[in-house]
Amino acid sequence: MALLEVEDLTVRFYTEDGVVKATNNLSYRIEAGEHFGVVGESGAGKSVSSLAIMRLIEDPGVIESGEIRFKGQNLLELSAEEMRTIRGNEIAMIFQDAETALNPAYTVGEQIAEAVRHHMDLDDAAARDRAIEMLDSVGIPDAAERYSDYPHQFSGGMQQRAVIAMALSCDPDLIIADEPTTALDVTIEAQILELLEEVSETFDTAIQLITHDLGVVAEFCDRVMVMYAGHPVEIAAVDDLYYNPQHPYTVGLMSSIPRIGDTRDRLQTIPGRMPDLIENPPGCNFHPRCPYAEDVCARREPPLVNVETGDPADPINSDSQSAACLEHTGDLLEGLDYQVTVRGTDESTGDAASTDGGVSDE
Amino acid sequence: MRRIYESNALDRDDADPFKPNASRDTTPTAARSIPAQKLSAAIIPQRLIRRGVTIEVSTPRSTYTKGQAVPFHVQIRNRLPIPITIETKHPVLWTWSVDGHRDASRLDDPLPARPGQFTFDRGETKRFTRRWTQTFRVSSTTWEEASPGIYTIRAAVAVDDAVLSDSVSVTIE
Repeated sequence: MALLEVEDLTVRFYTEDGVVKATNNLSYRIEAGEHFGVVGESGAGKSVSSLAIMRLIEDPGVIESGEIRFKGQNLLELSAEEMRTIRGNEIAMIFQDAETALNPAYTVGEQIAEAVRHHMDLDDAAARDRAIEMLDSVGIPDAAERYSDYPHQFSGGMQQRAVIAMALSCDPDLIIADEPTTALDVTIEAQILELLEEVSETFDTAIQLITHDLGVVAEFCDRVMVMYAGHPVEIAAVDDLYYNPQHPYTVGLMSSIPRIGDTRDRLQTIPGRMPDLIENPPGCNFHPRCPYAEDVCARREPPLVNVETGDPADPINSDSQSAACLEHTGDLLEGLDYQVTVRGTDESTGDAASTDGGVSDE
Repeated sequence: MRRIYESNALDRDDADPFKPNASRDTTPTAARSIPAQKLSAAIIPQRLIRRGVTIEVSTPRSTYTKGQAVPFHVQIRNRLPIPITIETKHPVLWTWSVDGHRDASRLDDPLPARPGQFTFDRGETKRFTRRWTQTFRVSSTTWEEASPGIYTIRAAVAVDDAVLSDSVSVTIE
């Protein structure tokens, strides 16, 4: 049994304009201590899926169907009171915008100590010590002094560290990090990711990292799920995804990454934009933007299948690479015509992380 | 704690518009407004509210070539001079259909059974745009193209009242 199993999760938002299909039959699992990446453009359903795990979807959003099993327990069946004992304690979340996540009217230290008091049943003094210890562990200098600072007295990087300290304060088993480095510059981003890595190794904490930065995923994650328009389009181990992408959207994302030494005049981008989730196109959601789309793509929705066998994928019980493209069900006439080039592979060391690659259409 | 306006730190003058007034015993200039939306929902029957609302569906053209998406506009207007709330059968406040197939789907997907509320300000007009891709969903994973002919696109507010629906016909050649 995995630490977290999400099965057929469907979330809808009932708005005046129509029904926003935020996630559709989303299934994946995260093992204890694993780093699981969720990648996609803005509006792909990444944040909604993580908010659903925390049961923080607000009206007009509704979790329509599915199960979210954490340590075998379906979180959707818990009462609000039971969920509060898990939220922040066993599953913690690092929100995207630290400045907004912190309450400007309370000191940073108090906000961390509050979670500690609530979940760990410590008295005020012990909770304060624990909060100072957490601030120190995330690299806030003079943590005891800064305990009484208000959020506006922290820089952006320090605020993000404080939010991470809050997430770590109760030793959670799973951290959901929703674009924790998006608002930060690259040097701070590297420090934050290093910190998360260190925490994960020390406490065997699983991390679900939501990002749209494939570079961060390559560095940090063990397995990756690529989402598009509320659907999982590819789930794979990180090496498989980079060296052998099986969905045109993944290929498009990778070919749009700028690389040092790339001689192309312009970056290759994915034309068009993500469809309105109220009005998904018929067939494959990606077909209006896909360079390999054929007539059948507009009439048939591709199921998520094992790319080796073409059988329906089982993301909860299997590690095999799976993708949702009609190529893998044998329905495309022309097939996918792209080539993955891996540059700088050091065969003597086999150091995959140091390679630099590119994807191009043939 | 003494507040700044209780001290003599402020220079007060009734004649100067850029200085605080000398006298502080002012009466409130506005009373709390009545929540008109809730009030109208409580006292006006739904039957009357519905009669004050109009719905209109239109397409830019009446004829489209095969395979060309058909955009259509839905305009729902509250003609009443008060804010209103329409109680709907489900949280999908309005629906559209092609030849009676909701969302151009031949599947019988039930809508959630809980009620919804469609709110309008006084005289407010809400406009929505959709595109019919000239396809019908025939199973959970497959669609088929519509053959040439005349099709009726209908939009309706989710109430048991035929007054709140409108339709337009388009020809596919």
